[in-house]
Amino acid sequence: MAKAISRRSFIGTWGAVGSVSLLGAGRPITIPGNPPGWRGEQRVKKVASVCEMCFWRCGILASVADGRVLRVEGNPDHPLTKGRICARGNAGAFLLYDRDRLKYPLMRVGERGEGRFKRVTWEEALDFLASKLKALKQTHGPESVAFFPHGVSAGFFHTLMKAYGTPNSAEPAFAQCRGPREVGYALTFGRGLGSPEPVDLDETKLMVLIGTHIGENVFTSQVASFAEGLAKGAKLVVVDPRFSTAAEKADWWLPIKPGTDIALLLAWMHVLIAENLYDQDYIRKYANGFDKLAEHVRPFTPEWAAQITEIPAERIRATARAMGAAKPAVALHPGRHATWYGDDTQRARAMAILTALLGSWGRKGGITLPTSVPKGSFDLPDFPESAKGRADGAGTTFPLASEELGVTNGLVEATLTGKPYPIKAWIVYGQNVVQSIPQPERTKQAIKGLDLMVVVDIMPNDHVLWADLVLPEATYLERYDPPAVAESAKVPFVSVRFPAVEPKYESKPGWWIAQEMARRLGLEAYFPWKTPEEHYATLVEPMEINPEALKVRGAMPFPGRPYLEDRIASGDTLFETDSGKIELHSTRLKELGFDPLPRYTPVEEPPAGHFRLIYGRAPVHSFARSENNEMLHGLMPENELWINSSAAARLGLQDHQRVVVQNQDGVQTLPVRLKATEGIRSDCVYLVHGFGQRSRLLSRAGGMGASDTDLMTRVKVDPLMGGTGMRVNFVKPVAIASER
Amino acid sequence: MTRHAMVTDLRRCVGCQACTAACNAEWDVPAGYARTHIQHTPVQGTFPDLAAGILVAQCAQCDEAPCLPACPSGATFRDANGAVRVNREVCIGCGYCVAACPYDARYIHPVLKKADKCDFCAPRVARGQEPACVATCPTHAKVFGNLEDRESPVFKLVYDLGAQRRETQAIHVGPHVYYQGKPQQVALVMDAFPPRPPHMPVSGSLWEKVARPVVVGAVGLTFAGQAVAFFHQLWHGEEDYED
Repeated sequence: MAKAISRRSFIGTWGAVGSVSLLGAGRPITIPGNPPGWRGEQRVKKVASVCEMCFWRCGILASVADGRVLRVEGNPDHPLTKGRICARGNAGAFLLYDRDRLKYPLMRVGERGEGRFKRVTWEEALDFLASKLKALKQTHGPESVAFFPHGVSAGFFHTLMKAYGTPNSAEPAFAQCRGPREVGYALTFGRGLGSPEPVDLDETKLMVLIGTHIGENVFTSQVASFAEGLAKGAKLVVVDPRFSTAAEKADWWLPIKPGTDIALLLAWMHVLIAENLYDQDYIRKYANGFDKLAEHVRPFTPEWAAQITEIPAERIRATARAMGAAKPAVALHPGRHATWYGDDTQRARAMAILTALLGSWGRKGGITLPTSVPKGSFDLPDFPESAKGRADGAGTTFPLASEELGVTNGLVEATLTGKPYPIKAWIVYGQNVVQSIPQPERTKQAIKGLDLMVVVDIMPNDHVLWADLVLPEATYLERYDPPAVAESAKVPFVSVRFPAVEPKYESKPGWWIAQEMARRLGLEAYFPWKTPEEHYATLVEPMEINPEALKVRGAMPFPGRPYLEDRIASGDTLFETDSGKIELHSTRLKELGFDPLPRYTPVEEPPAGHFRLIYGRAPVHSFARSENNEMLHGLMPENELWINSSAAARLGLQDHQRVVVQNQDGVQTLPVRLKATEGIRSDCVYLVHGFGQRSRLLSRAGGMGASDTDLMTRVKVDPLMGGTGMRVNFVKPVAIASER
Repeated sequence: MTRHAMVTDLRRCVGCQACTAACNAEWDVPAGYARTHIQHTPVQGTFPDLAAGILVAQCAQCDEAPCLPACPSGATFRDANGAVRVNREVCIGCGYCVAACPYDARYIHPVLKKADKCDFCAPRVARGQEPACVATCPTHAKVFGNLEDRESPVFKLVYDLGAQRRETQAIHVGPHVYYQGKPQQVALVMDAFPPRPPHMPVSGSLWEKVARPVVVGAVGLTFAGQAVAFFHQLWHGEEDYED
């Protein structure tokens, strides 16, 4: 066996020699290779908190010694994530110690977009901002200031902006992401889904993923339930033009022609109804409009859908029968990023109706129900009412858009056109507006016309270059955030974030920035608390838990009532629709003049020589904000352009070759490598989102890979809720001469 | 007796690289290197009849580990749990072990100039923790335990459920990293990533011109290294270094 070294032989031979030379050194002995979390034999402090490498709110423990975070690990006490965190979570300390962080308040000295700044003090920065905001309010009214928030700390700024008097707040989470889904399901069941998505994957018999790429899209607890379900024997249907990681595991991979999902959904409904495979009891008890639905889907046979979707009719029938056999334990995943083709609310409706036919809403193995948790609040003065109303069209142009989350593209449009009234200033908090909103040239154009552009962020991502004033925020490891309640989880929970370490450089927590601004604007009455501890104590007070224990443990569960059967006995309202029932046929949509039942409308085809651009996630990056993280950059420094290998061969292109991607309007990306693979249809190409940032202030990520957002010069807007369908751009790879 | 082993469930693994990230963070692995990493097989077949799989690669702590005889300094050793480990104080960074490893599971640390590799997180395990990759794995795809213990889940997975190892007719060095899953899935991954022949620095001019001076140097380094190692043991106890 291997070389053996025992202490006895050491002591015998070398003991006397060693003791003199090493003990004389007089410094604390640290063991080489000693894992962070331990220093010598002394255990370092572990601080429970909530991850913010994405928004899933996984529980973490930060190991802290000498005011430094050595390591971020999963928190085993966390009710949802149970100690497991993804690659990004493990890389958390690399955000905290990123050399490129925004370190000081900055004031622009060059042109917008150049990224040339001078360092200023917080006093100067906040005084400047306050005087600007006061002046804008006087000349143009408070509505002339638009707010683009994202994340947990954004709540403080929401309060600030509402108190200031502007209703104009919008985040991409709605009109660039899950808005259509929330609206479509709410129209059908009376409520949306929320986050984390309440899909009962670990208890299901059959999972159906439509464009959802779990595995490449990693939310820790969701991917855990996915794996658990598969290991317990659940079958898997994956509908995706691309042979995704999930497709590799699928029993049925349906490589659908992009843009034809509604046809497939209608054909599935057709089979379920024609063959009496739907949940008849459930529909009879809980649903309205079944006869109209049956009538509507009668012509939509699998043969009809096969022509459109390019999925053979027998596979459509087989998968529908598998759903019928597994019902109600069918987890038809509602997806998350749902703004694809502009008819997305109707697609979400089709998915919701299919879910209802299978009887899986509120049933084990299907979609689970949220449980409300009591939260404390402060007694604030009334917020001023805006006479002008919103500028983004939420509730008017887009009748079903959320007025809480807003329509980002509506605000861009209003800024560009000055209609319904001029927007003069943007305050952007935690969202990369030029990478997360499509048509980035329009976004930049809008910014150019502003009187004031303020960015609060952690990293100098592309949008920071466009700011007049940059306020450096503390990372999630350095700040307090309000306790967050996840009501949609099967086991609902509250989690808290207190700082693990002091903010580095001159960065400040969001609550401090908002409160300081409020003080300068004379709005301190809206912030009637002195310290984070006081804020925290008030919010958790009605939860009847020990707040100190919650701080130590990081998160605490509440009893969940995830299934309908939990509610029937107590006489709760089961469906919060107008009729109190599931609306298969939507009277609300009919009243608004839209299709009360979803129908398939063909999408525009790619022109000759072009491919439809589709896009998605990688497990090691979040949006356009983690690419500069040293560890994550090491794991995935750039994206690749997936293209079907035969299509590549026809173009004379080879695997790994560098190309630029050019869209129908001539816009080109930075160079990107080709991934020529059989694992994608030949009518589309695929990019992981978030790369191709051009900010030279990002020393690792700047200039790496291709931006899908840059190629989105066109969108198709959903008339119901304002979402920007983004899979309507057509691109081609163009070889770079020197790289052939 | 203890014989630690790792079993990865390929049905569960989604290739998310949480294991790699946790390992990198735990052991300060420099960016671009890894002690454990994910590899995707090439997609097999013609659209739309396709198959592909994911390999989770790490040192297999082989029974007949080629890196052990390849190591001229004695830095590579086997511990009481069967893990193959590197004593950094003794390692001279010659890279022979890297060439010898049929699984390419070792690298030379670019700053320390020492060999580095997965050792099943021996220091964590000694404290009663799971290896970092196991503890973080979102899909619970990795199972770690003692193959000599009939109650251990790895015993059942290996001896009762037939978890596979990456071996070929030609190269079978007794790896203790195993894979389970649907048979065709496991076969696809095993076929795509066979072990390679170890390159052993045993004969010819290389040994004469390079290895000998290296070994002479190594003796001196070993002397110093052992002195340092001695104090580790005073501090830590001896279990890690016992065979």
